[in-house]
Amino acid sequence: MDTNTAILLTMLLPLGAMVTNLVFRDSPNLRDGLTLAASVATFLTVLGILSTVGNGTTEPMVLFEVLPGLDLAFNVEPLGLLFAIVASGLWMVTHIYGIGYMRGNNESHHARFFACFSLAISAVMGIAFAANMFTLFLFYEVLTLSTYPLVAHKGTPEAIRGARTYLGVLLGTSIGLQLVAIIWTYVITGTLDFEKGGILAGHISGPMVAVLLALYAFGIGKAALMPFHRWLPAAMVAPTPVSALLHAVAVVKAGVFTMLKVGIYIFGIDFLAETGASEWLMWLAAFTIIASSVVALTKDNLKARLAYSTVSQLSYITLGMALATSMGALGGGMHIAMHAMGKITLFMCAGSIYVATHKTNISQMNGLGRVMPITYFSFLVGALSIIGLPPLGGSWSKWLLAVGAADRDQWIMIAVLMVSSLLNVAYLLSIVGRGFFLPDSDGTAAPKVAEAPLLCWLPPALTAFGCLVLFFIAGDILNFLSPIVAPN
Amino acid sequence: MGEHKRKKPEHLPALGRLLLWVDRPGSANKIFWALAVVCALLFVLDFTYDKHGHFHIEELPGFYGVYGFVMFTALILAAKTLRIFIKRPEDYYGDRAVDSEEYPADQLDKERYHAD
Amino acid sequence: MLTDPWPTAFLFFAAAAVLPLLPKGLLRALLLLVVPLAAAWQIWTLDLGTFAQVEFIGFQLDLMRVDKLSRVFGLIFCLAAFLGNLYAWHVRDPVQQVAALLYAGSAIGAVFAGDLITLFFYWEGTAIASVFLIWARGTKAAYHTGMRYLIIQIGSGVILLAGVVLLYRETGSIAFERMTLGSVATWLIFISFGIKCAFPLLHNWLQDSYPAATVTGTVILSAFTTKLAVYALARGFAGTEILIYIGTIMTLFPIFFAEIENDLRRVLAYSLNNQLGFMVVGIGIGTEMALNGTASHAFAHILYKALLFMSVGAVLYRTGTSKASELGGLYRTMPLTAMFCLVGAASISAFPLFSGFVTKSLILDEAGAGHHPYVWAALVFASAGVLSHSGIKIPYFTFFAHDSGKRPAEAPTHMLWAMGITAFLCIAIGVYPDPLYALLPYPVEFHPYTMGHVVGQLQLLCFALLAFGVLMRTGIHPPEIRAINLDTDWTYRRFMPAVVTRVADAVSQFWSAKMRFWLRRVEAVVGRLFQVYGPEGRVAQSSPTGAMVLWIAVFLGVTLIVSFLS
Repeated sequence: MDTNTAILLTMLLPLGAMVTNLVFRDSPNLRDGLTLAASVATFLTVLGILSTVGNGTTEPMVLFEVLPGLDLAFNVEPLGLLFAIVASGLWMVTHIYGIGYMRGNNESHHARFFACFSLAISAVMGIAFAANMFTLFLFYEVLTLSTYPLVAHKGTPEAIRGARTYLGVLLGTSIGLQLVAIIWTYVITGTLDFEKGGILAGHISGPMVAVLLALYAFGIGKAALMPFHRWLPAAMVAPTPVSALLHAVAVVKAGVFTMLKVGIYIFGIDFLAETGASEWLMWLAAFTIIASSVVALTKDNLKARLAYSTVSQLSYITLGMALATSMGALGGGMHIAMHAMGKITLFMCAGSIYVATHKTNISQMNGLGRVMPITYFSFLVGALSIIGLPPLGGSWSKWLLAVGAADRDQWIMIAVLMVSSLLNVAYLLSIVGRGFFLPDSDGTAAPKVAEAPLLCWLPPALTAFGCLVLFFIAGDILNFLSPIVAPN
Repeated sequence: MGEHKRKKPEHLPALGRLLLWVDRPGSANKIFWALAVVCALLFVLDFTYDKHGHFHIEELPGFYGVYGFVMFTALILAAKTLRIFIKRPEDYYGDRAVDSEEYPADQLDKERYHAD
Repeated sequence: MLTDPWPTAFLFFAAAAVLPLLPKGLLRALLLLVVPLAAAWQIWTLDLGTFAQVEFIGFQLDLMRVDKLSRVFGLIFCLAAFLGNLYAWHVRDPVQQVAALLYAGSAIGAVFAGDLITLFFYWEGTAIASVFLIWARGTKAAYHTGMRYLIIQIGSGVILLAGVVLLYRETGSIAFERMTLGSVATWLIFISFGIKCAFPLLHNWLQDSYPAATVTGTVILSAFTTKLAVYALARGFAGTEILIYIGTIMTLFPIFFAEIENDLRRVLAYSLNNQLGFMVVGIGIGTEMALNGTASHAFAHILYKALLFMSVGAVLYRTGTSKASELGGLYRTMPLTAMFCLVGAASISAFPLFSGFVTKSLILDEAGAGHHPYVWAALVFASAGVLSHSGIKIPYFTFFAHDSGKRPAEAPTHMLWAMGITAFLCIAIGVYPDPLYALLPYPVEFHPYTMGHVVGQLQLLCFALLAFGVLMRTGIHPPEIRAINLDTDWTYRRFMPAVVTRVADAVSQFWSAKMRFWLRRVEAVVGRLFQVYGPEGRVAQSSPTGAMVLWIAVFLGVTLIVSFLS
């Protein structure tokens, strides 16, 4: 199987899963089994691409030419491949978890739910392998639209409201700002291809560079840069598997992935560094990191707290790009994987707690860790990784980002990263401390261990273990990503 | 507390019984004056050997004794003064500090002494 | 690589992983005793040198640098872990057991770390593992205290990380060697060490958290974190002059607080801080003999401080309180504990024939030899201060003084064994210091038992005791009362929270108000779009709307597919 076919397959397999979900809507086991098979096949296909291409870059496969220089085209490059591995790998885990959650929680409309889910993954694969900004944009919009029904899934007025905010912000920013930026780029350069070193150098200069960057940065609403972050907490009305995969991995990571792509392949790290156009973005990202962590501290609803934590962590990646150093960009790229693994663990644990106890507020969860030790232990591991503590993956991406900031002599940015760690400790480890060591809030907690169903606690335990594994393979990830910033 | 009244000294552990001496009337006095004698002896000892320190002041007979006595007293007085300013009720920090809470009993083994 | 020995820390980590799989009870407790002994044996038999070097992310990490300085700290940490675990023999809580292993392992790993990245990893490891010993108390107060402790400890770690990053940028090296203060990088590393070492104004986490830990947790806590910081300072900043003054202040200010503190475990925490001051002065002086003094004092200090925490812990275990105002007269029924406590008190006060005497004199002597008259005078004063709170207050108000009427049983056998062994070591070191001296980083040419040393020290202590007698008889000595005292922690327990809460509220309100405004606008636009293009009246229902959007997406997706294939 050649690589181009494989790329198509990564998109077609989830699409097929969508179809089977709709066709076999009334036979749950067959439906879920087929989807699982599709997710495994997708993951294997992506691994197949990895084994043939490695960290090389393939020639774009043009499917369709809209205008000269405006193609629907795909190729493989390290950053996209990493994103595809993360998304497809975690899809398998989340699908298993989703089955446990949806059944354990007696949610309705399973078929529609899993159909949308699969479609969203298909779109993510399109984003990951897009060879130019135009293709990426199309799949970006498909992702927004396909996840809207997932957010509105519960059908309550609150869910509808949240979903409307979700759609409004994401569509509004992407069409109102990102599309403008894309058209502008196309007009001045005549191409939208992702190229090493960027395509803009020589075509634009002065303050206009910063303006164009602003259109991109704000236009990529999925990166949740303040002040366009509200959609993310709003989307937390969705069932937890959605929050876990889409709002810790697929959707938000599509956002920061796009941000990195724009920074590295449209502008070019060197061009950004020369013009200083990303300096303001760095400060805004730093502000987002701190401010949303502070907001997270004030949230009692567990998923809301995690959502604000995600807002904060996404800006790490934006910061990595805005630093305009190779270490920063690599740190940002690595943080996609590290944060995805950690945050999905946290979300799945939150969901397990909900399935087992129907509790959503942290203040009600005192003493729960003694009842659900595996869930809470997984949560602890995920939290330590998010904070950036050894021996978990998050510590390396934070290290690289700090080195990137040092390369620019941005001591304040180092300080921001460090303060952020402490805020993370305050709002994440307090949950663990309460859970394991405080007396029960209401005295109703079961005196003995009463975990959520197997399919709910096993997946987060696996991803928690993944956080540990990532610590030890961080060097390989770094080597894998290094071509994206290597000089031509 | 009736129970502990029943416990006659002879039921205490041997070492404890031995130490009961310190609580006998007059024992405290004896200890104090014995200590005073030891101090005096130590002072006298200072004249019996060739003192050499890093500083001249060390060579004064009884320097360490005087310094110890004076500084100890000064320390206690200073601490007592400090207390006026920084003393607060035990529950000053509320239930976020351990000072006003009981140690959880299930982690203790609050056994009372049993005579054999 | 294959022939290299395992890093000692991994022994502890492996044991921590195995422990939960063992049946509860005897086997687990035994494992906790065997591991430190095995680790000590390994350290003892290893040749000096650097082992277990691994290549990682382009850095060479030295996991096991054994030299004379790290070896003496590694050994005493193993010994402390053994004694602490023996003392905790009765504990059946796996969380505390695993935490104790991870904590000791991290501390030992940090001591043998040959590079700053490895040091950082273990540095944070000690922070995370140790907080569980506080949380394990299981009360609300312990939870909050643990959070405060954790944030400060991890704060020390992230400052270290920032320093390492900057140092790496500056020098291109991550080796953990002697540094000179000057750049931002070295200052950050210095401050990071200083937090864990409880420098003045950075100290209060110590007095705040140690009294909040479990009975056995405090004993284990007392050994590692601060002495790891002493080791790190000795390795990185030996001979840094400012440390002399920092250390001097450290020996002085805690003695005033200790004098009027009611909770005896907090008294010991202040006392610990004061003892660290002596070690820091030794590091600041930085001569070979002063560093010997620091290393040996750390060794002796870990033992007698653990002994004191053990004896007060045993009282707490039997009576439910460690407050001086509630205790007194316990010698009647806990005479052995009382005796062990007196041994600890004599050792920390540096009575001749006890361990503190043969180690502290090294530092005092070097302060004199280096002609720091004020420093020397302050240290001598602080020595008298130690006597007042640790030498007198702890044993006197617990076991003697007025009879509280409490008649607790003697400490359990395993605690007596732990205290007994520790007390034996305290005396053994005091009587025959040569084996300890032989372990020190540099050759020792020092004789503690000269006439001048012995008589001078005895004069200082006996006259101070006499002063205590006089003050008690005249009623001037402050009574033990139920109260707490303010310290620098007021700033972050009372003042800062008020500020932070306000700021957080303001930020969150600002965002929600601002965003609500904007979102309404966006929503209005989207809503209008739906009204115009979507079927009227179906907007309010989720399922049809959801389905509609799904179909739009499907349509888009299918269009894309068709275009692939065409």
